[in-house]
Amino acid sequence: MKQLDLTIEEIRKLLDSGQITSEDLIKDSLDKAHQYQEEYNSFVTILDDAKHEVKGNSVLNGIPYTLKDNISTKGILTTGSSNILSDYVPVYDATIVKKLKDSGAVLVGKTVLDELAMGGSGTTGHTGIVRNPWDKNRLIGGSSAGSAASVALGITPFSIGSDTGDSIRKPAAYGGVVGFKPTYGRISRYGVFAFASSLDNVGCITRSVKDAAYVTDILKGKDERDMTSLPNTDEVYADCLENDIKGKKLFYIKEACNLDNYKDVNDEELTATLNNFYEVIEKCREIGFIVEEVSIDRDLLNALYPAYMCISCAEATSNNANLTGILFGKRGVGNNVDDIIFDARTKGFSEFIKRRFVMGSFVLQKENQERLFLNAGRVRRMIVDKINELFKDYDGLIMPSSDSIAPIIGNKTEQLSDRYLILGNHLVIGNFGGFPSISIPSGFVNGLPVSVNITGRQFEDGLTLNMAYKIESVLGYKGQVAKGDK
Amino acid sequence: MITKEKLKNYAEKLMFNMNESEYETLMNEFDVIMEQMDLIGKIKDIEKVEPMTFPYNIYVNQLREDIAKDPLTTDEALQNAKEVKYNQVKVPKVVG
Repeated sequence: MKQLDLTIEEIRKLLDSGQITSEDLIKDSLDKAHQYQEEYNSFVTILDDAKHEVKGNSVLNGIPYTLKDNISTKGILTTGSSNILSDYVPVYDATIVKKLKDSGAVLVGKTVLDELAMGGSGTTGHTGIVRNPWDKNRLIGGSSAGSAASVALGITPFSIGSDTGDSIRKPAAYGGVVGFKPTYGRISRYGVFAFASSLDNVGCITRSVKDAAYVTDILKGKDERDMTSLPNTDEVYADCLENDIKGKKLFYIKEACNLDNYKDVNDEELTATLNNFYEVIEKCREIGFIVEEVSIDRDLLNALYPAYMCISCAEATSNNANLTGILFGKRGVGNNVDDIIFDARTKGFSEFIKRRFVMGSFVLQKENQERLFLNAGRVRRMIVDKINELFKDYDGLIMPSSDSIAPIIGNKTEQLSDRYLILGNHLVIGNFGGFPSISIPSGFVNGLPVSVNITGRQFEDGLTLNMAYKIESVLGYKGQVAKGDK
Repeated sequence: MITKEKLKNYAEKLMFNMNESEYETLMNEFDVIMEQMDLIGKIKDIEKVEPMTFPYNIYVNQLREDIAKDPLTTDEALQNAKEVKYNQVKVPKVVG
């Protein structure tokens, strides 16, 4: 059904004019979810009994959506894509699930993630690999893998994900759709499985910037159950989008984007991705942005990803200590409590996750704390201070969302190159500083989508969306789907 | 210096086991990780910086009023536990 390929805004008009009904949308969404499940594996659970029961009066009323399976849903299986939680059914809704219910949005499926959200490939969930709708031999990326795939496949116009390093924005980029994480704390995390609490954000994947604003307007707000949630704001993001951006200043990082950095690499897709980025920069200038190149210490940039690994893995070891299989989750066998927990965790975690946990434990050992864990926190402060200083002169940072198109499943990456450490992983800056950050599609390289990312000042979600909206309007990739009926 | 014994010790502290081939993969991974971690140490004057633990400064603690509310019911709290007896989660005897 072609209506599912449309944006929220377009579907809203059809619903309000009576040309379609919510019941039709839900049925077609479920049909499509099943149609693509075997090939792309977006879902842990497809909710065949989904109904439009709560009639809200919001823009999302009657519109189907999908939700990452690390977000608690009362009475509905919520696995975190991990074997240890493969039969866990929460007894309460996350705050954001309640908000979406009240708005009249209809949940049709829980989406696959990298196990416990710790990964960027979409290949480590306990129910298998999520494939890229533009080319099923390629990764969709993660960890919000099924969320990005479900939107790119035209199953729903939006999905909810979580983002600790780039877990909404990277899969959105590989899927040719929009991924937005607002300022840290803007959206409640109550009921969302914690990965790294000082970095975790909730956000959305949509097919337009306006839709991202609509969804964030519904989700945002203070929650007394989440002490890190920000106070309420009167700003309506969907109303900020048409503001004039003439004279707004953007910068990009020379050490990541300059083609001369990669002369020796001789990679056609990398070059094409950066050429696409420079074309976007030109278009930004044409519509009134001032865009400048800025240099940042290369040693600091090279340390971002290692620092992210230290902080996120260390926090994850602590956050996931509650997965014992005793109070909830799959129970182990043994003659005493320790043995039962050992058995549950040994069988319940995949090898990949265990390696991440061991890494976290390593950086937290007394002898490594100063050199690794505390130094990682120092790297974090240095880059956040630097970006905040630049944000005194600039309104935003614009960068390619990734170093290339979605990788082929199984391909190895060189993990010590500038390309990997800086261009491939700079989105962690958004989490280090809690900055609002959005990836929007900017074209194609070899038939696969590429994307640019706009990161704004802390708390300025409205302006960030406003700038992204204006850039989206001159790029021409709004509303695209990989497997549409259009 | 990373050794397999050290990694085994970390895994034990985390309360899970890994098999020999998993340790093999982890040892290889640590070769790359250690090189990546060395990049952090290259930054000039890093020791003078205060480590950051939160994305921005918070000047006001956000504490809610201490008002009693209904928590989960016992049935709800026990719903996901695999072994339950006398409204409590059952585990093997801890104290002899």
